[in-house]
Amino acid sequence: MRTEWGEAARRFAPALLGLLLGVLALWPALGPGFVLRYDMVFVPDPPLVPPGQGFPRAVPSDLVVALLSRVVPAEAVQKAVLLGIFVLAASGAAALVPSRRLGPRLVAAAFYAWNAYLAQRLLLGQWALLLGVAGLPWAVRAAALGGRLRLAAALIPAAVGGFQAMLVSAVAVLATAATAPAPAPAPGLGARVRRTGEAALIMGGLSLPWLVPALLSGATTDPAGVDAFAARADGPFGVAGSLLGLGGVWNAHATVPGQGSWWSAGVRLALAAVAIWGFVRLRGTRDGSRAGGVPYWTGLAVAAGAGLGVACLGAFAPGLLKALVGWWPGFGTIRDGQLHLAPFALLQAVGLASAADRWASRPAAAPRAVVAVTVAVAVAVPVLVLPTFALGAFGRLTAVPYPQEWRRVQEIVNGDPAPGALLSLPWGAHRAFRWNGGRVVLDPATKLFGRRVIWNDELLVGLPDGGRIRVAAEDPLAAKVGAVLRPGAPEPGPAGAGDRAGALLRLGVRYVLTRPGDNTFQDALTVFEGSELRLVRLSNPD
Amino acid sequence: MIRVLAALAVGAVLAVGASAAVMNVAAPTPEPPNRPLYNYGDK
Repeated sequence: MRTEWGEAARRFAPALLGLLLGVLALWPALGPGFVLRYDMVFVPDPPLVPPGQGFPRAVPSDLVVALLSRVVPAEAVQKAVLLGIFVLAASGAAALVPSRRLGPRLVAAAFYAWNAYLAQRLLLGQWALLLGVAGLPWAVRAAALGGRLRLAAALIPAAVGGFQAMLVSAVAVLATAATAPAPAPAPGLGARVRRTGEAALIMGGLSLPWLVPALLSGATTDPAGVDAFAARADGPFGVAGSLLGLGGVWNAHATVPGQGSWWSAGVRLALAAVAIWGFVRLRGTRDGSRAGGVPYWTGLAVAAGAGLGVACLGAFAPGLLKALVGWWPGFGTIRDGQLHLAPFALLQAVGLASAADRWASRPAAAPRAVVAVTVAVAVAVPVLVLPTFALGAFGRLTAVPYPQEWRRVQEIVNGDPAPGALLSLPWGAHRAFRWNGGRVVLDPATKLFGRRVIWNDELLVGLPDGGRIRVAAEDPLAAKVGAVLRPGAPEPGPAGAGDRAGALLRLGVRYVLTRPGDNTFQDALTVFEGSELRLVRLSNPD
Repeated sequence: MIRVLAALAVGAVLAVGASAAVMNVAAPTPEPPNRPLYNYGDK
């Protein structure tokens, strides 16, 4: 009995460690309310709506959240998703470690669930991407072991996450499927080709929910996004040093506080060197038969190298990337190159575990205390290197309740059976509400309503010199509405705002959600007015 | 024993560094500027 309990504890220890790290990182985010930061927008009672006309970035993640919110409150769904990322990431990384010792597996678990990449992407609110990142080790494992059902199941988190989540999984899965030793009954090139083809088909099938709307959207990609989203130096070692330390996210506000210090950046670089050394020593023979070799070694190495290359592309060869984006908008998916570091993070996690395994296993008959102390330090290292990721990165991830007027507006609009879109003003994508601690977040109106919401999906990225890069809107309808709203636009005639309302009506707008002080639509019917929101309904003059 | 001491030394150095990092960022962050529209982020 004791052995069974011990075995169960060993098996679930990485997941438990992931949960503990998740609680530590998300502590202020686990209170009542929603965490709202950059791309992370959860709303109460999210409606079931088809994707808008821009690029389907939140497909099918928003739909899955809306469905789950029919069963449990949306805020509970958000907390479960965020904690689940940590649990899935930690347990998956541990499952890739070839050692049977618990210590090295915990090292991999701790590192993959607590690193600069995951922290920065979380601070950018990209929970859907992180679903794919968390599921990546499971997907790599499934690709190496073979089995269609196993791979499909392992890719479910990426499928839920949508296009970015699937992108970070695709290269690693395909490379692993193509290079891992084929199972004994059918070894050889043919089996690998078939397995790679099957993996591509499975990923293609799971990508259909966002792939079809993407192809039908008519969305374009502004090459200016290459400059806006290129990796940047977030420490003293330049862009390359930042990327090697798994940092380098484009947004200066998405960095973990203090991560740019010499101490943090230096230790992370040293850790990366140790991890790469540890991964190299895992290399087996081509057929994976040598002791210590792992079947996913080549696949993960290729994916990590490719990810690092893509991350460098925007920073060191932006002209090439712009040309690619100009040639085919699909290349816009690699403009945010640092995003593709996920396989490199996984490589480092496995490599660090390998290094810890070697450290703790020599001499062979090392006392248990030696192993325990070594492992305890190794497990704590990721947290000690990036301690300020704790407590929601010191308040940067905090749950807040929506003010009641947001719920009231949602009830009014969603209770109206008449068709027509809602236009959200002011004409910009991001907000910083006082009730949200001034944290910048994508306009929650984009997710609140069971009808088409028109919002300005043009992105503004500030530059150190005070200038701004404008990344053009992708939604064609948003571009038309933007033209109507533009000061001095030809549409408003002598009647001014009345003509503007008419133009919006012709574009299918029924509601305008704006600020109380905005008198642009003073002739329209005000349906609701609070301290922060004013809802007006446009109607045809009869 | 050397390995234990080395591990403890590494852990101690990292703990001191971590403590310093936490102390540095524990100060309250400044209020954001009061503007209705915000950048997606800054480089």
